[in-house]
Amino acid sequence: MTKKKRSIGVVLKRLFKWLLPLVVLMAGGILLYCWHLSSQIDQRFSGRRWRIPSKVFSDTTLLYPGQQINRSLFNEKLRRLGYRQFSRDPQNKGELYTSASVVKLFLHDLTLPSRHREGVPVRIRFTGNRIESITHLNTGEPMPILELEPEEVMLFFGPDREQRRLVSIDQVPQHVIDAVLAIEDSRFYQHKGLDPRGILRAMYTNLRHASIRQGGSTITQQLAKNYFLTPKRTLIRKLKELFMSLTIETMYEKNEILEIYLNEIYLGQKASVAVSGIGEASFFYFGKSVMDLSLNEAATIAGLIRGPNYYSPYIHKERCLKRRNMVLNAMYEKGWISDKELKTVLPLPIKTVGYESYGKIAPNFMDYLSDQLNVLYSPQDLSSLGLSIYTTLDSQVQMAAENALKRGLERLEKSNPALGRKDPKKRLQGALVVMQPKTGYILAMVGGRDYSLTQYNRITQARRQPGSAFKPFVYLSGLDKLTPASILSNEPATYEVDGKEWRPQNYAAMTVKRVSVRQALAESINLATVDLAMKVGLDQIVSTAKQFEFSTSLKPYPSIALGSFEVIPLELSRAYCVFAADGVLPYPLSLKEVLDENGKTLERRHMRIRQVTTPAKAFIMSSLLRSVVETGTAGSMRAMGISFPVGGKTGTTNDYRDAWFVGYTPDILALIWVGFDNNDSIFASGAGAALPIWVNLMNALPQYVSGDWFKMPPGVVQGIVCSESGQLALKNRCPHPVEEYFLAGHVPSDTCQIHTSESQIGRIIDELKGFINTF
Amino acid sequence: MNSKVLSIRSKSFLMVCILGLGWVFTGCAPAVLTPLPAEHPGEPRETEKTETTQEKISPRALAALQLTDQGRMYLEGGQPDDAIGILEQALNLNPTSGMNYYYLSEAWLMKGNIVQAAEFNRLAEIYFKDDSEWLHRLMQQRERIKKQKPL
Repeated sequence: MTKKKRSIGVVLKRLFKWLLPLVVLMAGGILLYCWHLSSQIDQRFSGRRWRIPSKVFSDTTLLYPGQQINRSLFNEKLRRLGYRQFSRDPQNKGELYTSASVVKLFLHDLTLPSRHREGVPVRIRFTGNRIESITHLNTGEPMPILELEPEEVMLFFGPDREQRRLVSIDQVPQHVIDAVLAIEDSRFYQHKGLDPRGILRAMYTNLRHASIRQGGSTITQQLAKNYFLTPKRTLIRKLKELFMSLTIETMYEKNEILEIYLNEIYLGQKASVAVSGIGEASFFYFGKSVMDLSLNEAATIAGLIRGPNYYSPYIHKERCLKRRNMVLNAMYEKGWISDKELKTVLPLPIKTVGYESYGKIAPNFMDYLSDQLNVLYSPQDLSSLGLSIYTTLDSQVQMAAENALKRGLERLEKSNPALGRKDPKKRLQGALVVMQPKTGYILAMVGGRDYSLTQYNRITQARRQPGSAFKPFVYLSGLDKLTPASILSNEPATYEVDGKEWRPQNYAAMTVKRVSVRQALAESINLATVDLAMKVGLDQIVSTAKQFEFSTSLKPYPSIALGSFEVIPLELSRAYCVFAADGVLPYPLSLKEVLDENGKTLERRHMRIRQVTTPAKAFIMSSLLRSVVETGTAGSMRAMGISFPVGGKTGTTNDYRDAWFVGYTPDILALIWVGFDNNDSIFASGAGAALPIWVNLMNALPQYVSGDWFKMPPGVVQGIVCSESGQLALKNRCPHPVEEYFLAGHVPSDTCQIHTSESQIGRIIDELKGFINTF
Repeated sequence: MNSKVLSIRSKSFLMVCILGLGWVFTGCAPAVLTPLPAEHPGEPRETEKTETTQEKISPRALAALQLTDQGRMYLEGGQPDDAIGILEQALNLNPTSGMNYYYLSEAWLMKGNIVQAAEFNRLAEIYFKDDSEWLHRLMQQRERIKKQKPL
């Protein structure tokens, strides 16, 4: 017995001798491993925790009494801004009531780089499409102007295609926290990362219900798994999760862990994009900030954590309702909500806000913007830094532009079957850009017919002959030597270019041999324009055109007068802005401001202008270009319903390869191009192919039509001239006197030489002779 | 038949002669597109009235004025960048407001960009040519621009 006892003692002694070092060794190993994990955790948590895609916003929308708007585009805009339609007056932010004559809106908060406005209820009263009044519903006071928030138009996703809005734990209401803890880890504040009681309770519950009702993982374990580990179910992974949880718990406060968890968890899928974190989920499911979530909504979101798509209120409403009730009951059992609260919320339905997949609105505009952003930020930064990028884009104009171009091209194909192509990539193409001429803001850009087929941006990348759309720059060059009333020759002439003969021709046969500068531009008369170019000097034309910063090559050949040198459409559009902007060339602006995730301005772009011609010359050019629309090649515009003053120019190139129209008012300018990428003929002129698209676009944008025209600047005078001679009209003698604009000091000094008394008698005699000769 | 035709032709010829002579002695009866001035035909004249002249301020101009005012307040608060942003909005809303140009010039002056300040000052003048009070302010601004060295 003693011997037996002794041998047990020896065994224990030996065991202890071997086991103790083993335990010490293991403990040391675990400590070392935890230390290793802590540096890994520290590295991950102390830096940027998540990749937040940068967001691109449109410009804000201004509304004011007296403004004409396109109701359907406006309603569409409200929907994209996340306003939800109700059949009662709006009571919460983002709610909307619409009738034929009234729109009541509970505005979202407006947060811009320079200002913040709390969301308030407003009433917009309409008469037809005209805003009669805007009223602040809380105060009853009229509002002279209302600014709608910018629209989120694009996100720069990284490879993981995740979207989240970060929230601080202080912003999360207690009932939201309670809902999450009740269903996921009710003893979160009691345990140290591992909860044996929780595991036992989960096992018991699951056995009792013979199904997986509860998980044993704590929030810290879930965080460790989501953040650092693969979803693979292995013992090693489970052990690693355990050690990591313990390490995290020793390194961070409970609230900090909870905050990371709430921002990390996957909570659903918006098409191909993962909705991560409670902040994004609040907007995705309920269209509101986490701070505004009700108990019902909080319980719904908490219930999603187990299986966001399995319990999705968008996909499985019943399942989602059951899960929400489970969360509410769990909250009640813990004593975190009262019996009354439970009974109030349980019968409530789950009302989701609805969503739209993240789309790429204005893809060509976004590409143009991205090119500028890529100079400032790497693609990695754009997809992770959570920048807010504010642009000049007006999504209503963009929608109208896309629609006008689509309809215009379809109309052309329908009217001429020869334009049809079987290969979608070879189809008739078009491009369009809309700018605000004074500031250079690009409101919309459509670089082609179908972005999904080809991303080639015909506004910024194409180089096309402008044809007659280039003529205004030729005429501008001549304003120092000639006046709008000067007479040009419209007779055929031969010019020598590089040793070869060049014989320009008019678009259509004309008998008239002398035309005024105004008529020549209005009717886009080639022979007269070349005559003007030769009078002015080709070098002078090139020099003037270069002032407009065309980046393409322009050479002093006579054909420059007819627009034979290629231009980039955006540059042509920008150049036309000069006429509408008192002679200043604006920089085409798409990017306005970039803010970091804390709202600090990183980059700011303002309008930049440079004078390239005088306000007086710009005004006269606008007056000449108005004649194009009033009496010239764009005269059909009036019949199409445009009654306000417009300046513009058509352009058609040889064999009808390109059709252009650039039209503007003091408020807006749009350039339209139609053609084939391979230079096939479109069998239509600028007036026939491009102009109707411009008209359709403007008819859809009444908010940009003020009906104003340009104010005559200093340096311009008016005089009455004879339309035949271009000289000062003689009272009661000249048959067609016209009032004309002149640069001060350029008014003709001679009186009409055609309609003097002597010449009148001579003319009568000539006419009589001619009459007699008919016998 | 032939004599009848000849008689019609003779009558027509006579009519043309009478009308022609009448035209010579009475002067042309032109289809005047725009009324001629009473004296000194064809002499240039400064015309002050344009199509944009408005007796009453339009709702659009009123709305733009709100933005201009906000821009002015930003300037007073020493925030030229914020002022420029909102004044550009005002300019897009009402491109014929001289005030926007004036304050834009002021904002660029505050930022030390005298080239842009001078450009906007020059543009403002177009819209204030009939307003002596604003013209005076513009001239003062111009002087300040001249005195300021670029930053």
